[in-house]
Amino acid sequence: MILIAVVDDDYGMMFNRRRQSKDSALRERVLSLAGDGKLWMNAYTYGQFSDSDGSAICVDEDFLAKAGTGEYCFAENVPLDSCEEDIEEIILFRWNRKYPSDVRFAIDLGDSVWKLTKTREFAGSSHEKITEEVYVRV
Amino acid sequence: MSVYKKKRVVLIWLLLFGVLLSGCAGKSSLKDDSPQNEQVSAEEKKSDSDIEETVNLTEQAENTVLTDSFDLSDIPEYSGSPYIPVNGNVPDFTREDLTTDSFETYSELDELGRCGAAYASVGTDLMPDKKRGSISKVKPSGWHSIEYDNVEGDSLYNRCHLIGYQLTAENANEKNLITGTRYLNTEGMLPFENMVADYVKETKNHVLYRVTPVFAGDDLIAGGVRMEAMSVEDEGEGILFHVYCYNVQPGIAIDYATGGSWADGRTASGDTRKDEINNHETKQQKEKKATYILNTNTNKFHKPSCSSIKKMTKANKKEYTGSREDLENTGYDPCKRCKP
Repeated sequence: MILIAVVDDDYGMMFNRRRQSKDSALRERVLSLAGDGKLWMNAYTYGQFSDSDGSAICVDEDFLAKAGTGEYCFAENVPLDSCEEDIEEIILFRWNRKYPSDVRFAIDLGDSVWKLTKTREFAGSSHEKITEEVYVRV
Repeated sequence: MSVYKKKRVVLIWLLLFGVLLSGCAGKSSLKDDSPQNEQVSAEEKKSDSDIEETVNLTEQAENTVLTDSFDLSDIPEYSGSPYIPVNGNVPDFTREDLTTDSFETYSELDELGRCGAAYASVGTDLMPDKKRGSISKVKPSGWHSIEYDNVEGDSLYNRCHLIGYQLTAENANEKNLITGTRYLNTEGMLPFENMVADYVKETKNHVLYRVTPVFAGDDLIAGGVRMEAMSVEDEGEGILFHVYCYNVQPGIAIDYATGGSWADGRTASGDTRKDEINNHETKQQKEKKATYILNTNTNKFHKPSCSSIKKMTKANKKEYTGSREDLENTGYDPCKRCKP
């Protein structure tokens, strides 16, 4: 699977069971990444895609286990450390802001397992600068 | 506040008052929840019927047992996190508080010159369209200009907006600025302001938002601030929190009564002169006569206003007037809650 996640400056993802932030430009980017392929997510994440034309979206609470090779998974409020072995690639978006957090991105990108291969920046609809990073296995 | 904003505030309060008079809204706690009354105790603030009316609009709110609002004695000592949840992260707003009209209100300063609650329904129309102006002419209660090498940006204290500039565009409003540490400003409050500001910008929704500085007794420096927020149009689905942010600075000790400070023994400041000045101020404070309440069982001494005194048995309670230094020399330690 190809994991997609969004973090703040402290690798935070959620606070009080709510996503830290959202941005329509980021959603469009996620949909364009998936293209005609499958984009897996749970019902909570689908809440922000429900108005999108996302025919590729598959909604399932056990989506991390069901996603196949080369398929995208957008994860916001689920533990990630237990599925790390199944991840082929990580696409990490950064808000470049500091928000409160009580759920953080649990995969250590600083060790010898993952390597940053691409970085791009784009303006969000409400965020000045969103950074997109692509990590692949070493 | 701009004239436009003032007009909006007056209009909103008139409308709300009208609803109250007409009886259409049923029993309302609007008056009890106005910012001017924020510093009354939790018991005084909410009756049982008010609690029943407290907003239960989200699943989380519905599943949370609402308590008697905020009680400082429930807040643990700072232990490394800049903020902690209060009341299961459910704010104390009432159903009648929710409005899709933007407004902002700021409490009058009290007799000690201290800020009270700042309260707003934040919408895009209140947000700034230009860079922040100077706020340096405002001297909030307990203000000291003091620098330490181990503080980011050197200055221990910032003029902390209760409602951040990015939310309501308030510049040098003395009713919206408190003396807060750099740590409170950037690690405690700013992340919550960012979250609310970006939510409002993205959704064009409103967020009901209240920030209340919490002072112990006659302290001039707040021990922390209580921050509450709830998104209005989606009834808390996007934004819902109720937290207490500590007005502390790791490595620096603060005398909350006066604003004096000194390098904490655990961390060297590297600035002996500044430490000496502050230690001198602290020594003067110690030699000054004052009245304390002693607990002869625990050998702690308290401010007469300390909430711990209520729990003290009569046999252990004793009043003392004299210097703090003499008291400490006889083996008494200051209460960590009221910090006499």
